[in-house]
Amino acid sequence: MLDHILSILIFFPALAGILGFVVNKNSIRSYGVAVATIEFGLAMWLWFAFDSTLSGMQFMEQIALVPAFGINYIVGVDGISLFIIILAAFFTMIGIASLGEMKDIKNLIITLLFLQMTMVGVFVALDAIVFYLFWELSLVPMLYIIGAWGGPLRIYASVKFFLYTFAGSLVMLVGMLFMAYFYYQATGEWSFALLDWYRLILPESFQNWLFIAFFFGFAIKVPMFPFHTWLPYAHGQAPTIGSVILAAILLKMGTYAFIRFSLPLFPDASVYFMYPIAVLAIIMIIYTAMVAYAQKDIKQVVAYSSVSHMGVIILGTFALNVEGITGSIFLMIAHGVVSGALFFLVGVIYDRRHTKLMSEFGGLASVMPRYATIFGIMLMASVGLPLTINFVGEFLSLLGFYKQSHILTLLAGTAIIVGAIYMLSAYKKMFFGVVTHEENRNLPDINKRELLALIPLTIITIWLGIYPKPILEPINKSVEGVVTLMHEKSLTQEAKLRIPNVNKEMELISKSQREAH
Amino acid sequence: MLSPVNVSIESLNLMTLVPMLIPIIGALFIIVIDLFKSEQDKSLYVMLSLLILGVDFVALVDSAGVFANNGTIMGVFDMMLIDGLAILSQFIIVGASMLFIPLALTHKRFHEFSYPEFFALFLFMIAGFQFMVSTDNLILIFVGLETASLALYTLIAMHNRDKSFEAAVKYFTMGALAAGFFSFGSMVFYALTGSVEINQIATVLTANNYADIGFVLVGVVFLLAAFGFKLSMVPFHTWTPDVYEGSSAALAGYMSIVPKIAAFIVAMRLFEFLIHSGVVWLEVILYMGVVVTMTMANIWALVQSDVKRMLAYSSISHAGFVMAAILIGTTQSNSALFLYWILFSFTNLGSFSMLWISRQKNLPAHQQSDHSYDKFAGMVKTSPVAASIMALFMLSLAGIPPFALFWGKMYLMSSAITGGYTVLALIMALNSAIAGYYYLKLIVYMFMKDPVVENNGHVYSANATLPLKTIIGIAAIGTIFAFVAVNQLIEFVTLFVYNSGY
Repeated sequence: MLDHILSILIFFPALAGILGFVVNKNSIRSYGVAVATIEFGLAMWLWFAFDSTLSGMQFMEQIALVPAFGINYIVGVDGISLFIIILAAFFTMIGIASLGEMKDIKNLIITLLFLQMTMVGVFVALDAIVFYLFWELSLVPMLYIIGAWGGPLRIYASVKFFLYTFAGSLVMLVGMLFMAYFYYQATGEWSFALLDWYRLILPESFQNWLFIAFFFGFAIKVPMFPFHTWLPYAHGQAPTIGSVILAAILLKMGTYAFIRFSLPLFPDASVYFMYPIAVLAIIMIIYTAMVAYAQKDIKQVVAYSSVSHMGVIILGTFALNVEGITGSIFLMIAHGVVSGALFFLVGVIYDRRHTKLMSEFGGLASVMPRYATIFGIMLMASVGLPLTINFVGEFLSLLGFYKQSHILTLLAGTAIIVGAIYMLSAYKKMFFGVVTHEENRNLPDINKRELLALIPLTIITIWLGIYPKPILEPINKSVEGVVTLMHEKSLTQEAKLRIPNVNKEMELISKSQREAH
Repeated sequence: MLSPVNVSIESLNLMTLVPMLIPIIGALFIIVIDLFKSEQDKSLYVMLSLLILGVDFVALVDSAGVFANNGTIMGVFDMMLIDGLAILSQFIIVGASMLFIPLALTHKRFHEFSYPEFFALFLFMIAGFQFMVSTDNLILIFVGLETASLALYTLIAMHNRDKSFEAAVKYFTMGALAAGFFSFGSMVFYALTGSVEINQIATVLTANNYADIGFVLVGVVFLLAAFGFKLSMVPFHTWTPDVYEGSSAALAGYMSIVPKIAAFIVAMRLFEFLIHSGVVWLEVILYMGVVVTMTMANIWALVQSDVKRMLAYSSISHAGFVMAAILIGTTQSNSALFLYWILFSFTNLGSFSMLWISRQKNLPAHQQSDHSYDKFAGMVKTSPVAASIMALFMLSLAGIPPFALFWGKMYLMSSAITGGYTVLALIMALNSAIAGYYYLKLIVYMFMKDPVVENNGHVYSANATLPLKTIIGIAAIGTIFAFVAVNQLIEFVTLFVYNSGY
């Protein structure tokens, strides 16, 4: 069974989703939780069976799909994707478990199970077309979740979300087809397999064009400035569960794809475009942090802060060294946990008051002490306080980029200060002072069902903040593989010099771990 | 003194005529049945047509076998040309017809299907298209084209509505104009080369190195206009939405598939040598035609308020998309054309059939047209299965993997890249993105809006019968599980296209 664990992880939720149509409406929630728990168990089993001393792909499976055109169903997992898969399984599980009373809950749960299939699929696919398949397919359930359960502008938001990402990924598809054609020219055979592509050495001029083609697909998904405009709408209109999954998992598809595709396939182009992308990332970090400060709606604050942190992930990725990339992958997990939790928390207050405006609240700390505590912890984590999960990732990402450019890292660092300002002022507005609105005086504190989702997230936030080693090690191992590959494949003088230059001190990883303690 | 014509029967190779003769004889047979015993139920004629087409299909499998062993077959004074293109396109023509004819088995009220003449004409039309694709003789192409078109005009007019007469007259007038263009273009080529056979024309033109380029231009422009009408390429497309709207949804779907593939084959035979002649402006004209057709049709489709008209524009856009294959002109692109069209026929068959089963006899007061978007609002609440199937077809048309049309799109875009048309591939990608909007619009109406007028879901299946549901089921299965068959299809199609020298 372990031989097929990845295919099981992909298709089990989808199959369960189909069977779910038969389950009675009153039992569907239990059914959903059961399925998602089994899936999470399987994901944990994968982690247990995963050999973290290896840097390559594990549990690979291959089935010919369209061999005449070099398309195969190939899946595999390494340290880079392992924890994102676990994160996806985890969030689907607690997401379904924490669902409150909603209309059409049966459809929602089935949709979430289908979404889970596409999420796992994206992170284990090792064939470009299979990757593209799950990548595009993930848009459909998300479109439905935002469009059917969202706020008043939900249709506009969902269509905008869909079309933006769809347009970007079609450009990426052209890039993929070109890549396969290039492989065909070099070897006489068609192949979309990623591991085959890794072996291909592309001339620099091709690399730059292909990098741009892939960049469109990934950057819109992340979303990078200036392609981020769909995100505030999507978050603003999506139901809580939609925002949680979007922030925790779906956005990670873009950053993950940068590491999986752009860096190892186009090392020279990655070096060539490093500064432009870093500048975009820094604009993204600072600009969205400032926009977040100006928001009146707490969910928009969280949404913009989430974009801002995605900027740090991009920065870490394009540090092009082991620390930076490891940090950015760790930050993907951390960001998933923390921003997912924050969206949950916003959902909790929205359920009670049906408003997300901060001016409607005040002095909540005295009314809902447990809620205020968890919110506070998550907020500290989001700000990047040491001993929380975000700190490790942000520190490593910035440390990695520090080797590329001191000035730019410094600029990015200022965003942490801005982040602290807007987060703390939002917290102050909502939780401190006297209760300003009478209707807030009797709000019930967080209930058991909500605690079920939030307690594990809080534990992870602190546990991995103190002891990140079990996750950092496998990630680090696989990232070393990526960086080595980049180094071996680089053609231009600049890349040949820069990649080893920023990767000299690989032992820094363990040092930074000690610091994180 | 005239010497007697001395032709041996063997050299005529009459076997090449068999696939066309089967539907003709079948059509006559249906008329004879009506002559002796009229007032038969339409189900008899549907099943007879299905059987006849089935026999036709088997005959095609036979000739495919012969082609695979012996290569291209000529027959009947070298007028018939049975090559891979002819066989593949006849497979599509006959196969799609077999899937479409059971759509006649609706409830009683669509009385065009009660006439046996409907089925006779239908079979004549198929024979016409079959003639059109299996020859490179411009005269025989003309005869086939007109046989098919005249039958089609009548079929449209049989749909008993004011708009249908208008549509038929419109289509007829346009078709007559196209016929004029076609014959004038052929005449120019005949005057230039002394032949009406496309490969002869190619040989002569190449031999004198396109000396009379001005006349070639005139001939090409007229032929392009003629096929522009048939393929509804912009700017010759104006009849399409009106005619689709006027004809029944079943026939509209049929028209978006079968006549187009026939026209594609002729265009492929005709333009392939012209493209490869190295005359730049030919390529430019075709390039512009392709880009304008897919882009403009997409933009018009965006603003439609009726699903059927949207699908009409969408199929114009798809035709433009596929026309790119002829422009690229490599074996891969020509194979991609067939792959695309086979997959497209399943999906389009499905989506038009879904419109067909939701056709109401009389328009309700609040509804502007037969299939306005409003009608589908909130469909998921009343008939979730039908809504999901419709959404499936829309996703496939938009090119979302793993549904059928994605594979065609991917292979075609890949052939553009392979053929050195990277910019064209990008234009195709961006067009797919634009198209995403109007397919999505229907999904949004079905899944996210509340019903405009309360109904019990009956409107979405007012016309449904078991045969119709079966057809939709076949289309849905073909759309979902296309990825299983794509490999075999690519290999099969490439083999046939390659062996015909395209």
